[in-house]
Amino acid sequence: MAEVSLKHIYKVYPNGTKAVNDFNMYIEDKEFIVFVGPSGCGKSTTLRMIAGLEDISAGELKIGDLVVNDMEPKDRDIAMVFQNYALYPHMTVYDNIAFGLRLRKLPKDEIHDKVVEAANILGITEYLDKKPKEMSGGQRQRVALGRAIVREPKVMLLDEPLSNLDAKLRTQMRSEISKLHSKLGTTFIYVTHDQVEAMTMGTRIVVMKDGFVQQIDTPKNLYNFPANKFVAGFIGTPQMNFFEGTLLKTDDKVIIAFDNSTAQITVPYSKLYKAKPEYLDGKTKVYIGLRPEDVSLADGGNKNGGSVVKVKISHKEELGSETLIYGDINMDGDGYDGSPTRIIIKDNGNREWQTGDVVEAVLNLERVHLFDAETEASVLPRVPEYNYLNCEVKGGRLIFCGAEVALPKAAECGDLKGELLLPTDAVIIGGSLKAEIVSCEKINGVYLLALTLNGNRLYAVVPECVDGNSVNIGLDFKKITVKTDGESKITPLPELNEFACKFVKNKAVEEIEINGKVKKQKTVRFGFVVEGTFFEANEENVQKIFAALGLKKAFSAGLKIECGASDLTVADEGIAASVLETLDYGTEKFLKCAVGENIVYVKCDAEKRGDIRLLPDFGRVGVVETEREIKII
Amino acid sequence: MEKKKFRSKKGAERVSLVLIYAILIIISLIWLIPFLMLIILSFRGEQVGMSVDYLFPKQWSFNNYVRLFTETKFLTWYGNTLLVSVIVTVVQTVIVLMTSYALSRLRFKLRKPLMNLMLILGMFPGFLSMTAVYFVLKEIGLTQNLLGLILVYSASSAMQYYICKGFFDTIPKSLDEAARIDGASRHTVFLKIILPLAKPIIIYTILTAFIAPWGEYMFSSFIMLGNDDKFTVAVGMKSWLDNATLMGQEGYFPIFCAAAVVVSIPITALFIWLQRYYVEGVTGGSVKG
Repeated sequence: MAEVSLKHIYKVYPNGTKAVNDFNMYIEDKEFIVFVGPSGCGKSTTLRMIAGLEDISAGELKIGDLVVNDMEPKDRDIAMVFQNYALYPHMTVYDNIAFGLRLRKLPKDEIHDKVVEAANILGITEYLDKKPKEMSGGQRQRVALGRAIVREPKVMLLDEPLSNLDAKLRTQMRSEISKLHSKLGTTFIYVTHDQVEAMTMGTRIVVMKDGFVQQIDTPKNLYNFPANKFVAGFIGTPQMNFFEGTLLKTDDKVIIAFDNSTAQITVPYSKLYKAKPEYLDGKTKVYIGLRPEDVSLADGGNKNGGSVVKVKISHKEELGSETLIYGDINMDGDGYDGSPTRIIIKDNGNREWQTGDVVEAVLNLERVHLFDAETEASVLPRVPEYNYLNCEVKGGRLIFCGAEVALPKAAECGDLKGELLLPTDAVIIGGSLKAEIVSCEKINGVYLLALTLNGNRLYAVVPECVDGNSVNIGLDFKKITVKTDGESKITPLPELNEFACKFVKNKAVEEIEINGKVKKQKTVRFGFVVEGTFFEANEENVQKIFAALGLKKAFSAGLKIECGASDLTVADEGIAASVLETLDYGTEKFLKCAVGENIVYVKCDAEKRGDIRLLPDFGRVGVVETEREIKII
Repeated sequence: MEKKKFRSKKGAERVSLVLIYAILIIISLIWLIPFLMLIILSFRGEQVGMSVDYLFPKQWSFNNYVRLFTETKFLTWYGNTLLVSVIVTVVQTVIVLMTSYALSRLRFKLRKPLMNLMLILGMFPGFLSMTAVYFVLKEIGLTQNLLGLILVYSASSAMQYYICKGFFDTIPKSLDEAARIDGASRHTVFLKIILPLAKPIIIYTILTAFIAPWGEYMFSSFIMLGNDDKFTVAVGMKSWLDNATLMGQEGYFPIFCAAAVVVSIPITALFIWLQRYYVEGVTGGSVKG
């Protein structure tokens, strides 16, 4: 019964292979989290790191309020169920379940009560005297579950517990584990490669691939709003249909054209508000994704123009309750896995058909998914990063969406016409512009506000929901970009300053007076050297560095410090810098300074000139190992 | 046609079976005859020399056994050997099991080189170091001393890790992990999980650890040289063979045979006692179905 928090967790093997990359997640109490992904994606490794069976290369793992990175598995108050059950073969079922309790030296009566209770919950009371080898797979897995729940752990970890069971038993155990979860009210973390298991059991699912987290969301959101092509293809059976194609915007419509086929469909532009304008030029390649259940055979009468494509049926899969029709939208394609134009349709019985027929299929455009052909990221992210707008700068005023704001001194530029790249988090509540609220929805802990400003769509990410019909908004000018002819005229302030640094050991001999006698005492201080200045590191940071890099490499590895403009203060001692100019954003002021060859931005409300010294707040800065790109602190 | 083919196949099978059994019977006879001869000769009552041309005694008697324990130092030697062997067995078994567990489960620097080094060192015959060992023992005053012998025999115990480690490797690691999550330390895992599952290999280790010092001749003859109160059975009985006059005396040959029979008793008993733990499928049911 505890929260689990994973911050920048890495698993790097000695040969440099990164099994898990920058895993960040906060798991709330009583959640049922499922890690899912193909083999080798790092899901089991992550689970084993939580269990303490694998060392954590870098990052911070918390169970409850405790940092457990260096704790033995037995002290973490977790229980784990293994894929191969891992029952102790020489002990009876009773002893297997009681083993952990006996090691904790509980009184005999209490152990007995607990074992019997666990056996009752799992329905294995009659097998308590048997040895594991006398039991079937399903019964053994129940014993393994019993062994885990009897200790009442804070977190239950399950590593593919159903993979060794046959299909029928798997379905049965699936619902039993779900039942167990609601009964115990413990945090569950469950690893599986089976997306059906993930979808049916998890309150939230973590989809992983090649050591990277692809998306963390509820089953429904994963299905409806996949963040990239991998998630879209992995979740849902049969797999989503993918076609290559292009998008072309004409007035208030967008034409979706399929490659290798003459098929074209038209959707209203309002569906693609969140897309980057570059995708809509009719040339940029995208993947068009449609689930088999969103495609149906036309029944002759139901032709609504643009959303119908011709399909040549190649073969079928009879599943009893439904039939999957395999076909190809390219009349020369064969409809098998290798064809990029293959389409799978869930038959709705609208129409009689034969293999080889050319039929018309209706596409449900409400549910079309679009992905970038190169990055495979969704073209229509749930929370867009930027608003892409046309703008004009005239006499120190920025004109966009028919509205006008004064540019602060730091963002001034000459008159121009161009594009405004407005990050969604740079639209702030409270300002001079009045916008109408279209909707406000909560997505992954933040609120996405859809606004219209003089008839133009604008998205804003805000920390709290805004009610009402309209709201006053303003812009955070230090985040905006204005471009004309591909050249940036107004550039945003970089979010992070970077300094190269080294981790060093400083030996010093200090003279200390004890009882009137002066004694020499050696002291060793660990710290970072940034631009020739030594900063002592606190105990926690020293431990993190040694844990991540080892005793030898800690001193030789190239490191880099990352800190925001407000994590630096101007002080009497610190990194030498010279002020180049003061940037005035109206409410805030920043110093642009040169440190060595780098440019650094510091938040500072006082006017400064000439040489200054900068002091980073080591409680808040990040430290990254540059060679392998591992965030250590 | 079909039927004929079938029958000829069966016939060929029968012929080959007969052949195989015949060869096996001959081999086992060759194996068993020396043992049978020893046992039979040890019961010979009549006082004749070694070279008689018959096997079965004309007069069955326990006299050789009585003389073995009353007229010779055999009982002392037997006690010496038993003491040394039992202590070496305990020490060696413990060391081998611990080494094997460490090499099987822990991952540390130089683990592979260490294993290779032990394997290569184990390939050299032990007697190469005999003189060096002798002088070391002499310096610390342990020649003609049973403790010296125990030290020499147990010294290289850890090198016997190979078979035992191989067995430990077959015990699934997830058992260790499950136990560690259940709250066990490495120590508890070894004692409560691994050892109970490793019975067959523990038996094997005990047997080999016992047999080696029980029959070892070379080191003990060297270390105990000149003090026949500290002889082991192998050294003692060999001294009878060396002593031509003794063996030449009528009747000493059957006593030798009687001694051989007595020497073989503990090993046989040990095996019979331990073989019931050689149960197949000890790990059955632990993992997978």
